[in-house]
Amino acid sequence: MDLFLEVCTKLANGFTASFFLFVLTLIFALPLGLLMSLCTISKFVPLRVPMKIIVWILRGTPLMLQIFAIFYLPGLLNLFVWPQMNTGWEWFDTTFSTRFIAALVAFIINYAAYFSEIYRGGIESISKGQYEAGQVLGLTKRQIFFKIVLLQVVKRIIPPMSNEIITLIKDTSLANTIAVYELIYEAKEFMTVNGLIWPLFMAGAFYLIFVGILTIVLGKVEKKLDYFKS
Amino acid sequence: MSILEVKDLRKSFSKTEVLKGISFSIEKGDVLSIIGSSGSGKTTLLRCLNSLEFADEGTITVNDTVIFDGAATKAISDEEMRQKRLHFGLVFQSFNLFPQYTVLENLTLAPKLLKKGTAEEIEKKAFDLLEKVGLSEKKDNYPCELSGGQQQRVAIARALALDPEILCFDEPTSALDPELTGEVLKVIRSLADQNMTMLVVTHEMSFAKDVSTKVLFMDDGVIAEEGAPDEVFENPKSDRLKAFLASYSK
Repeated sequence: MDLFLEVCTKLANGFTASFFLFVLTLIFALPLGLLMSLCTISKFVPLRVPMKIIVWILRGTPLMLQIFAIFYLPGLLNLFVWPQMNTGWEWFDTTFSTRFIAALVAFIINYAAYFSEIYRGGIESISKGQYEAGQVLGLTKRQIFFKIVLLQVVKRIIPPMSNEIITLIKDTSLANTIAVYELIYEAKEFMTVNGLIWPLFMAGAFYLIFVGILTIVLGKVEKKLDYFKS
Repeated sequence: MSILEVKDLRKSFSKTEVLKGISFSIEKGDVLSIIGSSGSGKTTLLRCLNSLEFADEGTITVNDTVIFDGAATKAISDEEMRQKRLHFGLVFQSFNLFPQYTVLENLTLAPKLLKKGTAEEIEKKAFDLLEKVGLSEKKDNYPCELSGGQQQRVAIARALALDPEILCFDEPTSALDPELTGEVLKVIRSLADQNMTMLVVTHEMSFAKDVSTKVLFMDDGVIAEEGAPDEVFENPKSDRLKAFLASYSK
């Protein structure tokens, strides 16, 4: 019984790290992806071409490799070291460790690249007529994008975004490769130290339940935008 | 003084010349119908007037102010461009209402963003316009809940909300079922009765004949014939126009 409680506590701790990795990645990658998509559709070559190359690299190499690169390369190249949180609050400092920050940065840029392609598809699917209607009403490009186009884009990209968001929570497990104490890392500890396999399956249940909740939430968001058709 | 004067407008898309020197003028209160077969340049002409396309040569003058000059070399700023656009209103073939906004919000969005008055004034005006097009009771509906004819009437009201000097229609009834064209034409007719200056690209010949004060027949990028509606419809001179009109009376 003590063991079961210990497993639960450790997994819950691990899930907390996974959860923060997930939420923080979304908070930063969603706007960053939009910005990147605007660069990839820009008519300005010095903006468009480099961004297309960046997106190509981020989508074209394994996320695990990117996590390694972002964690190790800055130190190896003597550029900088990832900061260590030092608030004195132990839970905070261990959860948001150096490794966590590096993994988070890797997730943000990798997911922003995928999001940017989804945004791009959404933006390009909006009919030219919507832009022209805004233009003949004397609106600025910025007003047309934010007041007319954006919400229609959001409505269209919710299904593919939902897919990516669900993939993200499971991808956070890749952070265990640089020893971030997330859910899979904690479950694997029980396998290597205690020879137990069932904590890993329990970890699976954590993901499953979380994805279930996400599915409901994302479905609600989709429904919320059902009031208009575009 | 003409409210609108177009001089020798030319426009090519890559190697195809779509407008081959268009010149005409209209007076305040005129309703100009532009007829002609597809590909004759009618829509391009309208788009040039609304600065959605830019002609290669020629001038467009509104109320003695040159708003477009193909010979000008200096690029104009976005701000200037937007001011110039506001001389004209444009009603599209496919309505292009903003789907996420209610009917009322479609009318008030641009005036509010352009700060054309207080929120109350803008809304009051939007109500009046909806009344004018007979859709006051639909003000809180979304475009997807309206019929095509109703959507187009909202689009007309939306264009009027910015007080354009000249209202342009690009085949306003072409996307509509035949039984819905009447309600849209009725609205345009009532605007004509109120002396609104309008340019209407249309395939509705009887409408063009009844409502317009002047008709342009475009053929292959030029104005092949122009005149009062009776003249153009009852007494066509060119063979092209005769053939064109004959295809409608079948």
